[in-house]
Amino acid sequence: MIARIKSEITLWRVIVAVIFITGIYATYLRFFEGFRASTNLTDQMPWGLWVGLSTLCGIGLSAAGFGISAAVYLLGMERYRPILRASILISFLGYMTVCVGYLYEIGLPWRFWHPIVMWNHRSVLFDVCVCIMTYTTVLTFEFAPAVIEKLPWKRFRDTVLHFHHKILIGVVMAGVLLSSMHQSYLGGLYLIARGKVHPLWYSQYMHAMFYLSAIPAGLALVVMAIYLSMRSLNVRVDFSILSDCGRMIQLLLIVFAFFKVLDLTANQAWSYAFQRTSEAGYFWLEMAFLAVPILLLSLDSVRSNPERLYWASAIVVAGFMVNRLNVSINALQSAMGTHYVPKWTELASSVLLIAAGVIAFRYAVIYLDILPKLPTKPQGFTRWMSNGGLPAQA
Amino acid sequence: MATKKAMLIDIKRCVGCLSCETACKQLHGFSTDPEPTLSDTAFTVVETRGDKFVRKICMHCEDPACASACPVGAISKSALGPVLYNADKCIGCRYCMLACPYSVPRYQWTKLAPFVKKCDLCSDRIKAGGQPACTEACPSQASVFGNREELIAEAWKRIRDDSSYVPHIYGVEEAGGASVFFVSDVPFEKLGFKAAPTGTQPVSTLTASALGDSPKVVIMGGTILSALYWVTQRRREVALAEAEEEAAITRMKDERS
Repeated sequence: MIARIKSEITLWRVIVAVIFITGIYATYLRFFEGFRASTNLTDQMPWGLWVGLSTLCGIGLSAAGFGISAAVYLLGMERYRPILRASILISFLGYMTVCVGYLYEIGLPWRFWHPIVMWNHRSVLFDVCVCIMTYTTVLTFEFAPAVIEKLPWKRFRDTVLHFHHKILIGVVMAGVLLSSMHQSYLGGLYLIARGKVHPLWYSQYMHAMFYLSAIPAGLALVVMAIYLSMRSLNVRVDFSILSDCGRMIQLLLIVFAFFKVLDLTANQAWSYAFQRTSEAGYFWLEMAFLAVPILLLSLDSVRSNPERLYWASAIVVAGFMVNRLNVSINALQSAMGTHYVPKWTELASSVLLIAAGVIAFRYAVIYLDILPKLPTKPQGFTRWMSNGGLPAQA
Repeated sequence: MATKKAMLIDIKRCVGCLSCETACKQLHGFSTDPEPTLSDTAFTVVETRGDKFVRKICMHCEDPACASACPVGAISKSALGPVLYNADKCIGCRYCMLACPYSVPRYQWTKLAPFVKKCDLCSDRIKAGGQPACTEACPSQASVFGNREELIAEAWKRIRDDSSYVPHIYGVEEAGGASVFFVSDVPFEKLGFKAAPTGTQPVSTLTASALGDSPKVVIMGGTILSALYWVTQRRREVALAEAEEEAAITRMKDERS
């Protein structure tokens, strides 16, 4: 008996347990002790890690859902259909964590519904709220068939799926438009803080920069998630699809880098990059995280090797997170005359939400038809091979 | 339309007695211990800059950045001049604090139901025809309250009559104008006053253009997406028809042979 329990205790389970215990305690502190006990936020730094990590990274890294669904449904790129559901699931879970994170962030969480009935069309944040709420509904709709098709009632299933199919294209288009708007408006939030945001990040096109950077990062997260699913579950996706995603990510990163350089030049901000300030350091860190994956993904040996592609994607995701945290925290500190280091509770509760999302993804892949599966768990190299050229199941 | 009210703060005349700060704290029932900066229990403070005293207070902008930023419209500019905060609407997102070019709004970080706190220019008192507690308490006419136009004239008069004043009223034109403005005998930038990030334009113009684009994005984007989808469908139909044609030809060839 004890031996059986012992065999159940693995490193990852211990890590998950630690994340849940600390996260739940941090959640208790946030909701029952307040901001002072659970955050290092101050009047000088009213938005911290929760906005930077939970919201900006959460939404940005969920950008693949609209990208891949636009590619498959609207552009007819059927090649990407096998990873469509996984992308939508990642986005759906990402938005779910953001919606829960929103309750941590606002001071009066029981008033979460206020933006639905109290409108201020001049506010970027209002537009962000409305777009995120609507798009979460869209994602629920796009993801629903994966659950509905598992229901035992055939007539109900058929009616719902038939209706679903009829309006799907319209909903996908709405989703693409909504995503384009709020992905950029998240950057637009900082437009009003000119003079507070460091010139290395402030630009009148901040919203466009946010949009351009979100899509490659979202794709990179999909590549990571599918690689991990293939490694640990009986999932098999034609690796050439991921390889093509790698090429796409590289192309999108080059576009972003091009506009970033253009933007810095237009704002005459280059001089700030060569000052001996911490901002310049964070800036070059971000640029390194941008340049390295562009170089790596240009190598055939990286794109054609699952593990290397995974690590290249991980660098893209990490670079994206550095960018968002730079904008939301590091770019504001000197103008606000403050030094903000998040409290452990802020990190623990954010990590709890991320972990919950990852676990939900795992069980959805196991129990629903998210990714093409093999009848048994593959061994060795076979898992990377194409499914005989057959169209995927999901 | 009510006459717009305003407050003039004369840095040359300020003696740093903290009467305004104390009067404000007493009115709101806070402890009267002086605080170094604005807080959720100090809506105005007197800061020392060299040998000068500079009052910090909400500027009550004509087109407030905080009001434009608030997602639920909890902040509004009233006809009399005060920028008012409606605690019943607030969700506690704190975007107003990020948006304010003067970094004025404060938050009740220690409370379980925290609200935003800032000066309301004693709105209730001035509605009843009175004046704010701080100007009433000021012994040296350094803070005076009155009709906006008359106060601007008064400020210019002080500048004209005494050549030691800097010929600029800070707050009349900054960021679209405000209901609180300053005159000083020391250049404003030396006292920690920042040039408004948008010059004489309201700060809300920074987001207006991005937001104004959204209807265009929806219409243009919707059209482009529909067109792309149409092309995709058409290509699919053509491919299907061609495949059928080919199949028919093969069938015919098979039948012949």
